[in-house]
Amino acid sequence: MAEGRHNPLLELRDIRKTYRTRRSLFGSGGREVVALNSVSLEIYHGEIFGLVGESGSGKTTVGRLIVRLEDPEQGSIRLEGVEVTKLRGKALRDFRRKVQMIFQDPYQSLNPQLSVFDTVSEPLTVHRIGNSSQREEQVRKALTAAGLSPPEDYVFRYPHQLSGGQRQRVAIARAMVLKPSFIVADEPTSMLDASISAQIFNILIEMREKLDATLLFITHSLAAARYLCDRIAVIYKGNLMEIGSADEIIQNPIHPYTRALLDALPRFGDCGEMKYYGTLLGREREYVEPSACPFFPRCRPADETKCSRDKPLLKEIFPSHFVACFEPDLKQAEGSGGDTCFYGT
Amino acid sequence: MELATKKIVLRYHWVFRIREGWGIFHQSLLGKIGLVLLLLFALMALCSYIPPRLDPMYDPMTGVDPKISHSTGPSMRHWLGTDFMGRDILSQLLAGARIAFMVGVSAAFMSIFLGTAIGMIAGYVGRIMDTLLMRLADMIMVMPTLLVVLILSSLFGQLNIWTIVLIIALFRWPGVSRVIRSQTLSLKQRPFIEAARVAGASHLRIIFRHIMPNVLPLSFLYMTFRVTSAIIIEAALAFLGFGDPGTVSWGMMLQWVWKTGHMFKAPYWLLPPGICISLITLSFYMLGRAMDEVLDPRLRREQEAG
Repeated sequence: MAEGRHNPLLELRDIRKTYRTRRSLFGSGGREVVALNSVSLEIYHGEIFGLVGESGSGKTTVGRLIVRLEDPEQGSIRLEGVEVTKLRGKALRDFRRKVQMIFQDPYQSLNPQLSVFDTVSEPLTVHRIGNSSQREEQVRKALTAAGLSPPEDYVFRYPHQLSGGQRQRVAIARAMVLKPSFIVADEPTSMLDASISAQIFNILIEMREKLDATLLFITHSLAAARYLCDRIAVIYKGNLMEIGSADEIIQNPIHPYTRALLDALPRFGDCGEMKYYGTLLGREREYVEPSACPFFPRCRPADETKCSRDKPLLKEIFPSHFVACFEPDLKQAEGSGGDTCFYGT
Repeated sequence: MELATKKIVLRYHWVFRIREGWGIFHQSLLGKIGLVLLLLFALMALCSYIPPRLDPMYDPMTGVDPKISHSTGPSMRHWLGTDFMGRDILSQLLAGARIAFMVGVSAAFMSIFLGTAIGMIAGYVGRIMDTLLMRLADMIMVMPTLLVVLILSSLFGQLNIWTIVLIIALFRWPGVSRVIRSQTLSLKQRPFIEAARVAGASHLRIIFRHIMPNVLPLSFLYMTFRVTSAIIIEAALAFLGFGDPGTVSWGMMLQWVWKTGHMFKAPYWLLPPGICISLITLSFYMLGRAMDEVLDPRLRREQEAG
């Protein structure tokens, strides 16, 4: 998938997005918060692309920009070569058919007043697809594919009669029912139990096969991303730090932040000598210049002169493995990860 | 998934929710008292059609007892007595219940309709629209309704009862619209609205399908409070002599008592309409309080179990 270097399905070019805090009546206010700082990504047809970062890193903003819930200040987003940030009217409606989103919180993403049938059939109704019996058939198929079977047991229920996992399946069915070519899954399992998360992952994988869809999977967990994704991008404070294939990122992480994320994962199984990078500073550096590398305040191996002055750009260090670091430490940590050592979520 | 089954299940859903709501309502003593009182008043309003059919002299407006030409106390012929020209007070009281319901419910319904529509538009559209509509609401909110109606009626002469209803509705929507606006603002941020947008739903669809069903319960709650204020405004207006002269409302009755100098001479005439006005507003208020508990789980009393 990632090997096929043909035209990307989705392309983000130099995306910048800032949020402005509300100006208060007397105070100065109006502070700008940079959510995304010139983010560029390419997502290829058929892959599951993982976007990993901590809270506030801007990963959800990327998803919201892609589905046009928000517009970027700068940069372009292209789906199948078509610029999407300027779409209006009919073209926007066609775009909405192709791109769907699964939201983080299944307790908030379903209208409490609508039955499961009404929720899942809404996209069909909005886009005037099929007659009522065809819609029923589509809804039934989508629910079954999302793991709610027999669908007859669920169609007339209301969100308050469903568990969290069932609600998320309804949300997935709603995203699937239009047979979109691109789906943004924004931390779809962060509110769910681990066992249900695993089932949701498998549904997403099946969905990719069945619909021939491409997924952007947004998560804070490298372990989940490794399980699900073909490629992973690591984002920190609105800046992409490292992009590479999932195996490469987990087994051969280069960026100190990626290494810190891996260090932070709980491990179980036969780990032997634990692989440990220790790239995170115990105490953050204060008084950092705004032009510094975004990770400089927390980076242990940072070069005090170079890293405090400039922001590194993404460089291809290994084939298809991009890292934004001035002095990438190519040496891997001591200790055998081993095949029997697992990262937990 | 035949349509028939679907309908049954959907109906069951409503039955279930109403029954659940009734269960909470049932625990509230206030609500029960209010409901019983309201049922009594509704019965009175229905009964208002009976006396004029028995005998034309029981007509609340035009029926005059040929044998009586001044106010008399209760008797077998006139259970609550007669007014200054021999009209039956009981039949006036019954007709007054009908007018009170009519004025209260229709004025409240109209102001709720306006308030909900304007509140949803202000909250959903936002920006300049929000500012314009809410400043308009502020301006109307600070105007004393009664005073404005008094001025209008002195300008245009006697006002028709429906004109009064309309004016009350036009002056009582701002409170509702503020509440609906804030509810809409918080709903607008909820992910299910964003999910609808991602699905491609239009603004109209989002307003009617996703926001309206979630604010309507609140509107209906406010309706019970608006009924109260509409009845009081109409009664005050009628008492001050600016009511519709073609209708018999309780305020009108009080005005006749006062105007003909029977204030301290005829308690059988003064007390019934006074008590009725107090009780009907009280019962709508109690009903509203109980419904508040049904709709807002934070107000519910703690359950004994668990």
